[in-house]
Amino acid sequence: MPNLGSIKLAMGNEMREVVMYILVGSIAIVAALLFCVTADAGSREQAQRIHNRIAGVSPLAVRLDEMAALIQTGSGTEEENAQAAAFIAMQHPDFYRTTLKNFSTPWTNRDQDVFAALNDYSATVIGMVRDDVDFREILTGDIVYLAPNVAVPGYSTSDNRHYEELEQQGLDLASVLVRSDQSSLTGVPPEATAGVITTRAGARAFFIAGTNRAMFRFTLLNHLCMDLEEVKDITRAPDRIRQDVTRSPGGDSRLFRNNCIGCHSGMDPMTQAFAYYNFEYDPDNDPEGNSGQLVYNRSGTVDVFTGTRVVKKYHHNQNNFPTGYVTVNDNWDNYWREGRNQRIGWDSTLTGSGTGAKSMGRELANSQAFAACQVTKVFREVCLRDPVDAADRSKIDSMVSSFSNSGFKLKQPFAESAAYCRGG
Amino acid sequence: MRFTGLLFKSVARVGLTGLLVSILSACSGGAGQETEENPDLAAPAGSSQSLVLNGPAALTTDVQGFRVNLWENIAPDNRCGQCHGSSGQSPSFARNDDINLAYEQVNPIVDLNQPSQSRMVSKVGGGHNCWLDSDQACADILATWISNWAGDSAGTSNAVELRAPTLRDPGASKSFPSDPGVFASTVHPLLLAYCSNCHTDTAANPQSPFFAVSDVIAAYAAARSKIEIDDPPNSRLVVRLGGEFHNCWTDCNSNASEMLAAIETFVASIPETAVDPDFVTSRSLTLLDGIVASGGGRVDTNVIALYQFKTLSGSIAYDTSGVEPSLDLSFSGDVSWIGGWGINIGDNGKAQGLTSTSKKLHDLITSTGEYSLEAWIASANVTQEEARIVSYSGGNMTRNFTLGQTLYNYDFLARSSTTDGNGDPAISTPDADEVLQATLQHVVATFDPTNGRQLYVNGSLIDVRDGAGGTLNDWDDTFAFALGNEVSGDRLWRGLFKLVAIHNRVLTPGQVLQNFDAGVGERFFFLFGISHLINVPEAYIVFEVSQFDSYSYLFSQPYFISLTSPVTFQGIALRGMRIGINGREPEVGQAYSKLDITLDDSLYSAGTGQPLSAIGTILGIEKGADSDEFFLTFEQLGTHSNVRVEAVPDPLPTSPDGDALPDIGIKKFDEINASMSSITGVPTSNLDVLGTFLTVRQQLPVTANIEGFLSSQQMGVTQLAIEYCSSLVEDPVLRGNLFPAFDFNAVPVSAFDTAGRDALLIPLMDVVLGVNLGSQPDRNQTRTELESLITNFASSGTTAERTRTIVKATCAAVLGGAAMLIQ
Repeated sequence: MPNLGSIKLAMGNEMREVVMYILVGSIAIVAALLFCVTADAGSREQAQRIHNRIAGVSPLAVRLDEMAALIQTGSGTEEENAQAAAFIAMQHPDFYRTTLKNFSTPWTNRDQDVFAALNDYSATVIGMVRDDVDFREILTGDIVYLAPNVAVPGYSTSDNRHYEELEQQGLDLASVLVRSDQSSLTGVPPEATAGVITTRAGARAFFIAGTNRAMFRFTLLNHLCMDLEEVKDITRAPDRIRQDVTRSPGGDSRLFRNNCIGCHSGMDPMTQAFAYYNFEYDPDNDPEGNSGQLVYNRSGTVDVFTGTRVVKKYHHNQNNFPTGYVTVNDNWDNYWREGRNQRIGWDSTLTGSGTGAKSMGRELANSQAFAACQVTKVFREVCLRDPVDAADRSKIDSMVSSFSNSGFKLKQPFAESAAYCRGG
Repeated sequence: MRFTGLLFKSVARVGLTGLLVSILSACSGGAGQETEENPDLAAPAGSSQSLVLNGPAALTTDVQGFRVNLWENIAPDNRCGQCHGSSGQSPSFARNDDINLAYEQVNPIVDLNQPSQSRMVSKVGGGHNCWLDSDQACADILATWISNWAGDSAGTSNAVELRAPTLRDPGASKSFPSDPGVFASTVHPLLLAYCSNCHTDTAANPQSPFFAVSDVIAAYAAARSKIEIDDPPNSRLVVRLGGEFHNCWTDCNSNASEMLAAIETFVASIPETAVDPDFVTSRSLTLLDGIVASGGGRVDTNVIALYQFKTLSGSIAYDTSGVEPSLDLSFSGDVSWIGGWGINIGDNGKAQGLTSTSKKLHDLITSTGEYSLEAWIASANVTQEEARIVSYSGGNMTRNFTLGQTLYNYDFLARSSTTDGNGDPAISTPDADEVLQATLQHVVATFDPTNGRQLYVNGSLIDVRDGAGGTLNDWDDTFAFALGNEVSGDRLWRGLFKLVAIHNRVLTPGQVLQNFDAGVGERFFFLFGISHLINVPEAYIVFEVSQFDSYSYLFSQPYFISLTSPVTFQGIALRGMRIGINGREPEVGQAYSKLDITLDDSLYSAGTGQPLSAIGTILGIEKGADSDEFFLTFEQLGTHSNVRVEAVPDPLPTSPDGDALPDIGIKKFDEINASMSSITGVPTSNLDVLGTFLTVRQQLPVTANIEGFLSSQQMGVTQLAIEYCSSLVEDPVLRGNLFPAFDFNAVPVSAFDTAGRDALLIPLMDVVLGVNLGSQPDRNQTRTELESLITNFASSGTTAERTRTIVKATCAAVLGGAAMLIQ
């Protein structure tokens, strides 16, 4: 940092004074702001906040004027005018490059690390929002976004350099991202694509090693806003729990009957949808899988270990409980359509069973919990807090309705949340 | 001639009831006679006394096999020979006057195909004059001797003869209550009054079972097996008096009636379990109705120490290998018995043999130069390190062999001429494979001079390289054999043992697999009758059932079968099968509730029936293995149906309102970076900025929660602000765009005159604070602060560089403040 160094050399103790000034000044300004926010906010203040919340940066003066004017003199209701202003803010590149990137990045890795690099998972979320794609396709679509027309390394099924370079260059993702078919890039057949589930980043995070249950758990966590603890139901039939789940952990079967069965009885028959997927990598020389890639066992492929298309990991630790379920195909069933997890709000027009990741993704994406989860995540992102009271819950409900009734376009809850939390 | 095969089994089990009566009659006196004399079995096992065989030589090799393997072990007069000798009670299988006559006598009470099912074994196991403290241990040892006699023919048959059980409706039978209260006031007083001279552990000649002890709980536990609550007149407590004239106190008939009346009063107090009348149910069964599955198939030809942990009480694990001397293991610390046979090692636990009896391992293994260590175990966790599972050692640093655990690995230390005295270097299962799991596993460690050490887990040879094995000449015969710890007691292993066997030969890979496939523990076949529901004669649904551990049963691999052959049936729907226990369906573990299958003779074979499922499931033990009653229910079976519709769950209650949360927040790391870039015009890709941002990125806020803002985060914001402002001021184009009227080449005195300050501060505040925004800091106050800063800095320095430095500082003071940070 040569410039910073020159300041230090030139100013010595004065540098510390600057720093102290910023610190003290910040505290003073925060206090001033806390006072300010209690006062009624006018259209300019509302426009300023909406822009900050949507794009993560303050608006340029001209954009602030435009939004404020819209809020003040727009043709709709006060709420509709505020939403219209929010849609203007969404035109800012940082809505995509910053807000949506940070919004989606924690979903792309097990640690929910917000600092992870841009990847095909997060880029696909960004592109889908930009293009108003039905957001349910995030778990079903033959879709991926990339930037083929800029000077960065091309898309690769075995590394993430394309996206890392895009991020490093600070490019306007809203301009450079182009929609493509996953199947044309990855070799996974169209019917086996399932939105972000079958992106390289998704596979690297959740199909790597293990048993593929992580993909289900994290999809549930990120897109239905539920961890397994919340959906635990020990009364479901355990007939699809695989052999690798010991029925007597440490010699005490009570643990299985009271705990393990609660998640596995529902999770294992769903996770069977991923039975043909694996993320192949070199665990010795590339333990993080940076150069690994998604592999799908197409029709006709026979895994040497299982003797079917099912990948080896599904028969992992088969002697832990020899009369456990042996996976022979990718048929999945949703046992949670009965019992307490009916509350998830499954789509009654679907059957609750199917073959492969795409139809299982459809089962999840068409649940009421999926829509509510997306809306609630947006609410938190824009309002900077959880919904806490009846008014907030009512707003969430109305946003879920409008999200569901308007083609599942994610910009809609962004606009509605920004209007709801605009202040004033 | 050897009685083998299925014919013998059926004959043996049915016909021996009569034989048993004669045996028992012979052992006891008639009405009013004195208590039978118990043999003196106090002499230590194996110290056979004056065993001399007279008479003709064995006529066949099988007779000779009987003599060598069984007779020589049971004929001494401190064992069966005391009563069942030449002039003793019938059957005289321990006679020493003619081995061929003894052979004739023993045949009806042994089952060479299933030695453990021999009448001799069950008789002793039921409490008949065991020479050890554990009846079960004597039974197991007898079974081992019979197995040795049977040789290869023992236990190799997996065929099971299915027999129709007694048909009962679920709930029609009663279960023993857990509370012994009524027993204490009905049956127990009679037992105390008339049976306590013998059937207590404190009697001069204690006779098990000890149902006449004063501790009512212990007495109740012992008496339950002698009471038939579904058929009180057939209770052993009654039959022994009325039919077998066993030590009656006055008149046998009236004594039997008195006992029967007490039992009937007790039974009458037990309520029947109600079964939902809408259920479509099979007939019911208890564990006693189960047909014992062949436990055979194990290769124990060269076993020299064997622990099956069947005793379930006391503090000794008996060596039931039948190889003298018995290497029995005494418990210390927290060692507890577990259901379904086994022991659990807890705090400071250890099961250890004497050095004197452990010496047999040394003697028998060094004579062959090879051995196998086999165990069915379940580690309590995968976090324990340097834990000793099975050890034959002298302490921490010296041993003959040890099987241990380190995290996910099994370790095998085996002393030989190629290792040191501690068995090092050890071999271990590979770290990455995580072979050791905290569940029941079959582990075999072998050693031989050619292949050295090898490890098998669940029947598979683990790929661990080892050199040649060398010799065992350096083995120490003063070491002790222990389970669950080092003999020094400081290498605890937490977990379960279900079986441990030491062989003085190497098990081949095929034999290891055979022993793995044979499994561990007792298994039964349950035949749930369903002929009353479908038009098929003698129709049953068969489950293989075992006690999985102390808390659960394992039901597995059901199939449909008819005991009538040939049989025809078509298109019988079977859907939604559940297992019922004690009149109700447990909510948890119903693995067959999704079953939807059609019974059809096209899918049926006479021997194996029609498979229903390959799945197993565990269900919780309720009253106990000797009391629980099982049945099946069906949503549909044939024309009978009881469709279940699950209730719609109530909606979740509305969450209470939470505390009000701040309406504002702080920008997050990327937003801060983007904001500074937007304000200054310096692109985020600027190398100086990028470098600093990457340095401080993880120091910046990651959530918008203003209440979580930290001073360290402000330091990161400050560093980044300074970098942006520095890059801005050093770039003539960018600074010209933002501050077009400010002279960056002037010295401070002139640069920061009134006009210069306007040229700097007004655009700076415009871009950072915004214009006409009531939610931002007051511009006048902010300007006053900045003016003060400039005045202070401008009082020294006389160069244009100094001017630019002051601009950087002023810029950073605004850019790094809350006006940018708060959203």
